[in-house]
Amino acid sequence: MNLKKSLVITIALSLVLLSSWEIYWRLQGYYPTLNDEKALWAKHRANVETATKEDIIVLGSSRAFFDIQLKPFEQLTGKKLIQLASTGSSPLPTFHDIVNNTTYNGSIIIGVTPGLFFSTTFPEAFPWKRSQSKVNHYQDRTYAQRINYELSVPLQKSFAFVSADEEEWDDDIDLKSLLRQVKIGNRTGAPIAPPFYYFGDVDTNRNMAMTSRTATDTAFANTIIKVWEFFGNGVPPPDKASTMAFFLKDLNTFKARNGNVILVRLPSSGATRVGEHEVLPRTEFWDDLVKQARVKSYHFEDYDTLKDLKCPEESHLSYEDAIYFTKTLVSILTKDDAFTNSKTN
Amino acid sequence: MLFNSLSFIVFLVIVLVLYYANIFSWNNRKRILLLASYIFYGLWNPPLVILLWISTIVDYTAGKKLAVEERQGKRKLWLLLSMVVNLGFLAFFKYGNFLLENFTLVMSSIGLDYEALPMDIILPMGISFYTFQTMSYTIDLYKKKIQPARTFLDFALYVTFFPQLVAGPIVRAQDLITQFYEEKKATTQQFIWGFFLLTIGLFQKVVLADTLLSGTADKIFGSKSILHGLDAWTGTLAFSGQIFFDFAGYSTCAIGIALMLGIILPDNFKYPYASIGFSDLWKRWHISLSTWLRDYLYIPLGGNKHGITRLYVALMITMLLGGLWHGAAWTFVIWGALHGLYLVAERVLKQRIHIKINAFNGVLFALLTYILVNFTWVFFRAREFSTAKNMISSMFFMNPDGDKILQSFDIIKVLVLISLLFICHWIMRKSSLKEMSHKISPLILGVTWAIMIFLISISQGHSEQFIYFQF
Repeated sequence: MNLKKSLVITIALSLVLLSSWEIYWRLQGYYPTLNDEKALWAKHRANVETATKEDIIVLGSSRAFFDIQLKPFEQLTGKKLIQLASTGSSPLPTFHDIVNNTTYNGSIIIGVTPGLFFSTTFPEAFPWKRSQSKVNHYQDRTYAQRINYELSVPLQKSFAFVSADEEEWDDDIDLKSLLRQVKIGNRTGAPIAPPFYYFGDVDTNRNMAMTSRTATDTAFANTIIKVWEFFGNGVPPPDKASTMAFFLKDLNTFKARNGNVILVRLPSSGATRVGEHEVLPRTEFWDDLVKQARVKSYHFEDYDTLKDLKCPEESHLSYEDAIYFTKTLVSILTKDDAFTNSKTN
Repeated sequence: MLFNSLSFIVFLVIVLVLYYANIFSWNNRKRILLLASYIFYGLWNPPLVILLWISTIVDYTAGKKLAVEERQGKRKLWLLLSMVVNLGFLAFFKYGNFLLENFTLVMSSIGLDYEALPMDIILPMGISFYTFQTMSYTIDLYKKKIQPARTFLDFALYVTFFPQLVAGPIVRAQDLITQFYEEKKATTQQFIWGFFLLTIGLFQKVVLADTLLSGTADKIFGSKSILHGLDAWTGTLAFSGQIFFDFAGYSTCAIGIALMLGIILPDNFKYPYASIGFSDLWKRWHISLSTWLRDYLYIPLGGNKHGITRLYVALMITMLLGGLWHGAAWTFVIWGALHGLYLVAERVLKQRIHIKINAFNGVLFALLTYILVNFTWVFFRAREFSTAKNMISSMFFMNPDGDKILQSFDIIKVLVLISLLFICHWIMRKSSLKEMSHKISPLILGVTWAIMIFLISISQGHSEQFIYFQF
């Protein structure tokens, strides 16, 4: 047995295989991206522990994540923004965590996507579990996990094939995801979800930007619209009573320690917007939330400068529009003196 | 820290560089290994290193006293101290809530309304492994089978040696401590072979267990539905493969890493799914635990020296406690009980029926053993008895209208992989990886090795914890 020879062959062949794999995926249009994973979320959640009253936190679902851009926000307000919104999630568990597990009493912008905000408080339900799992990870993460994450960032930024995203996109290229794409018939008879492709790039600051392909390629954007349709059709009815009660309880606690909450209804368009109005009518959900919460609240439809914004895939703004939206929102909030809790609607 | 993580790669490189730097004496290199082991453990939960220290100090002291004390009464007391501390840790950290729950149940069954809040206890990683390891040291000293560790450093390193600290193999003192007495340095062949074993272990864990099998097992055992027989079988087979690749993968990594340091650890698995019968299985599966249970439980309980009834009782008690060792739940006890019953039934049958095993009937018996093992895995994996009951009835095809929740490709993937696993175990059952590697050319070994590295790299995963860490 000549192990030295075997080792040399192994090293050489491994390099060839991995280089070929990387080149192949780059030729397919892939590029190195950072995963939006719970380790990244936890890293930013940790910043809340040392945040001052002047710092601002963003909570919410993917719309708050895509539509509020860090750089213009921080430049215009001069304040530090901690982005803790999460895709496909209810903001209630994260708000609950910040209210109950920190002493932070600055301003929290909560992006309201009605279908997720009013979805549920059931711990096993998808929108809740996704948020809660991030909170749990923050609370339970080990030093080894923190080091693992820091070591993984340079790899994620350097290699396209490093892409084991927790989101499980249909165009992920790790081995498990590639095998998931192999389908032989439909044995279970369950409705098959349309493919859900990666459509936003996140950076280390947790700033999310829609990919240019999504913004410019209508056919690609339509694949994502089909996903919203699929989820929209299968989603259980909203649970307004329990979500409102849960939120208002935490809100009152937060207000009692002089914290400031700003509610923002972020843009949607096309059939998604129509569907939202049908299933979660504004008067019944948003207006009632505003009435009961008694905090500064902003609905994009109330502003001429925002109401006609078009989302390429009906739910999120393109990067350019997100910058415009952020700038406009900041100017509205500043004009309204929204970052102090002295006034309410 | 997990072997399948980036931090471990960096950690191992640093340890190896310091270990082979030629600037430290052997004693200092051992100190480096000890410190590295504490860092390895502490990066998970630093305060729990204190438990390791307590275990180390108590057992070292008890061992020293046992080596010189001649009075039987005193010797018993020192042994008792070691047992109380180690089993006390296990009882509190691992079985605290389980005991409390069952106490509450007993109270309510006799009409006493007793309600206790579950204790918020963290289960220290690998506690069952290192407590058993250190207990073997004091028990062996009590029985005057071994000499005490020469220095505290040697003993501390024996308790804490990072490659096998959290999930074994559970190494006996005479097999490991004595290796620390002389300067150790891996030969080039050993170092490369150790690296190869590390690769195989990671391949088993990352690619085979986590990427190819865990999803199917999780889906089936997470389902609340009554399942179709094919789904139930696929999920159980997937778990049987997952737990083997996960645990054998860990052991292979541990053996490989130790070998890279010039330390030899014993084998923990020898192609168990090709076992012919259950006594053969326990000579091939988690060997370091089964030999521990044999030497420190089964034999002291009487073993096969006191008649057939006592033997069966000893077997059953050993397997029941072996089940409980794996986890604080009745499902694990049932798992152990089933294995105990299998062993008893095998003994009864062997006394009455004499069959000469050949290659032809051997493979059929191996298959039968594997099928029976799968029924035990249902209890091992199911979190609730209702899940286990539903799974077992589906596996007997009593639910032809059960839900089909797996897609065809998932079933094919699992069945192909498990068939290959069984065939490989059968082919290798009288051989070893080392023997096999001598027979193949360096080119084929190199290509296979590179493919494994490639598949590990493209699987990536999320540094999933090894299943046996929870035990």
